[in-house]
Amino acid sequence: MVSAGLTLIFGMMGVLNFAHASFYMLGAYFAYSLQGSIGFWGALLVAPILVGLVGVVVERFFLRRVHHHGHAHELLLTFGLSFIITELIKLVFGNYPVNYQIPDALNFAAFTIGGADYPVYRVLMGAIAIVMFIAIYLLLTRTRVGIVVRSAIYRPKMVEALGHNVPLVFMGVFGVGAALAGLAGAVAGAFYTTSPNMALELGVIVFVVVVVGGLGSLGGAMLASLLIGIITSLAISIDASLADFFALFGAREWAENIGGLMTLQVSSLSGSIPFALMLLVLLVRPNGLLGEKD
Amino acid sequence: MKTQSVLFITAIALLLAIPFLLSQGLVDAAIQMLIAALFASAYNLLCGQAGMLSFGHAAYFGMGAFATVHAMNALDGTGLLPTPFMPLAGAVGGLLFGIVAGYFSTKRSGTYFAMITLAIAELVHALAPQLKDMFGGESGISAMRMPAWGFTFGSTNEVYYLTLVWVLLSIALLFLFTRTPLGRLTLGLRENAHRLRFLGYNTHRLSIMVFAISAMFSGIAGGLQVVSNEAANYVLFDAHLSAAVVLNTYIGGVGSFLGPVLGASVMTFFGYAVSDLTQSWLLYQGTLFVLVMMFMPTGLAGIIASLGGLHKRFGVASLAPLVVLSVISALLLSAGGTFVIEMLQRMLSQNYQSLASLQTATRWPDILLFGQSWPPASISTWLVPISLLAVGAVMGYLAKQWVQILIQREALKSESNQSEKEVVE
Repeated sequence: MVSAGLTLIFGMMGVLNFAHASFYMLGAYFAYSLQGSIGFWGALLVAPILVGLVGVVVERFFLRRVHHHGHAHELLLTFGLSFIITELIKLVFGNYPVNYQIPDALNFAAFTIGGADYPVYRVLMGAIAIVMFIAIYLLLTRTRVGIVVRSAIYRPKMVEALGHNVPLVFMGVFGVGAALAGLAGAVAGAFYTTSPNMALELGVIVFVVVVVGGLGSLGGAMLASLLIGIITSLAISIDASLADFFALFGAREWAENIGGLMTLQVSSLSGSIPFALMLLVLLVRPNGLLGEKD
Repeated sequence: MKTQSVLFITAIALLLAIPFLLSQGLVDAAIQMLIAALFASAYNLLCGQAGMLSFGHAAYFGMGAFATVHAMNALDGTGLLPTPFMPLAGAVGGLLFGIVAGYFSTKRSGTYFAMITLAIAELVHALAPQLKDMFGGESGISAMRMPAWGFTFGSTNEVYYLTLVWVLLSIALLFLFTRTPLGRLTLGLRENAHRLRFLGYNTHRLSIMVFAISAMFSGIAGGLQVVSNEAANYVLFDAHLSAAVVLNTYIGGVGSFLGPVLGASVMTFFGYAVSDLTQSWLLYQGTLFVLVMMFMPTGLAGIIASLGGLHKRFGVASLAPLVVLSVISALLLSAGGTFVIEMLQRMLSQNYQSLASLQTATRWPDILLFGQSWPPASISTWLVPISLLAVGAVMGYLAKQWVQILIQREALKSESNQSEKEVVE
């Protein structure tokens, strides 16, 4: 979902955003602090709006100022902003995970597969993600707003001449992208841990997803996140190494003597698989799975 | 040119004299500053001159460091590679890894490139703790500096001089590189890669070369780090190191050759001096970085350059008030900002929160900050930073106006000169 937001922003504005993962974290923290006063569902509703507002402020007062310096400059600025947001979070909430929990009403098993309970909250997260994807897709391709937004990207001058407020459109797109990340954070933060490190942990994976899927392609982002999710979880369950592979050719001892990469269990490599996949995609299809030629 | 060479010689003399002037702790900080400066210059070759924004330079730094640590263990400082030459192993490590990583990442340019470098660095960071033989797992690998050439390399001073020689040599080589045809092509790569391709150059190979050279010098910096610390650990691949070099380089100024050196030394020094006093050093660093990006994209070096330009145009007399105004404004603004951040940090810290909940009578106990105690609930406490910030902002505004007035005055003068000429004619 975060990658959907990121793709939205990049594809629409040409701004690649390091602060996006920070918005995700902000969403989780806002929801955590609002939870006490307006309940879980209220927090789930208000937190994304607040994050969206933060996104609007960032776009209006920071990014717009450096827009004329080019992409790299914007990227660096969001990089610095993500630093500041993380540090502010540490300042306010402390440098440790906070106790942001799933409400008890949702904390039960939806169904059981092979003796393992499948929590209903996971189903809910998946459902929200899918609904959001469909909503964005329909909004962008089927509505008038979507047409204006998409054309504002390709020919900002022309759209402006036709009487649309292009800076407002950009600000709106950035705000919606940020709000999506905030929603994702509010939902996921309750399930996983909410800590100042969550932005960093997520951020890199999101970038990989976007590159693998192809920048500016919503479908690509979806496909890539599914692919990476499946491969990573499959890899965790494989208890074999390259040495086993070489054993098929009777070269097991030779491989084990080499050590290093040869004897590593595939399961312990699962953390690095997304990156390897990304390198592979870049070699074979540099524009990403569903990316357009540039 | 003459003032430049004088400045240059003074700087070298100062650097040589540092171990005699400063305490051991500060010499240690100076070693870190030198290493950071070299790392930033190597980074600047890629980022400033070739226009390729890398977010994963820690990978090459780390590779150089591990190559050096293995070389130190394997060779015992004897044979072909005595201790002073150990960073060469780092150079080779950085270079080789740089060629491989450069091949992948320079396939794309712009923001794609940035993301690929980031992913490669993360890949290495995720893999390193798993490969115990090569990277020593969580605990890392340690090595010993062996005596060579009559030096024991036991004292910090000897390490300092070793580092200094390597850093000066590397920076000089980097500078000379910008003068070679390849160095000029590097600039072309930044300005107009399409045109280079039309002219018949292989831009991909060119990018790999630049990338590898930058990685090589990063590797030397990593090697020096190991020679100084006598240990390496997979934390060297951490994203923080990559982030720090980006921040340092941009705060110093990417446009000029020595800007990153300046930025890295200043930031490392502040990091060393301040890290004991505050827990929010990264916050200050990030804020400074954002301010630099927004208001002075040319960085610290750019300020010095523009100050020189103004000096030439208006002379010392009219410039002095401007400098005084802006320095005071900057000081006031940073003092106000620091006050707010430190105050908030103390207020929101766990210790203080539990203290506050214990003392129910006075809801907010006083906070000790800068040698004085401040009651956080009273307005007067918060008036201090607010007034600091306000006065600072006004001063900054005045300084800006001053520049405007100077420019207007100059325009008037040239106009009146012209009209005088016309009268004479």
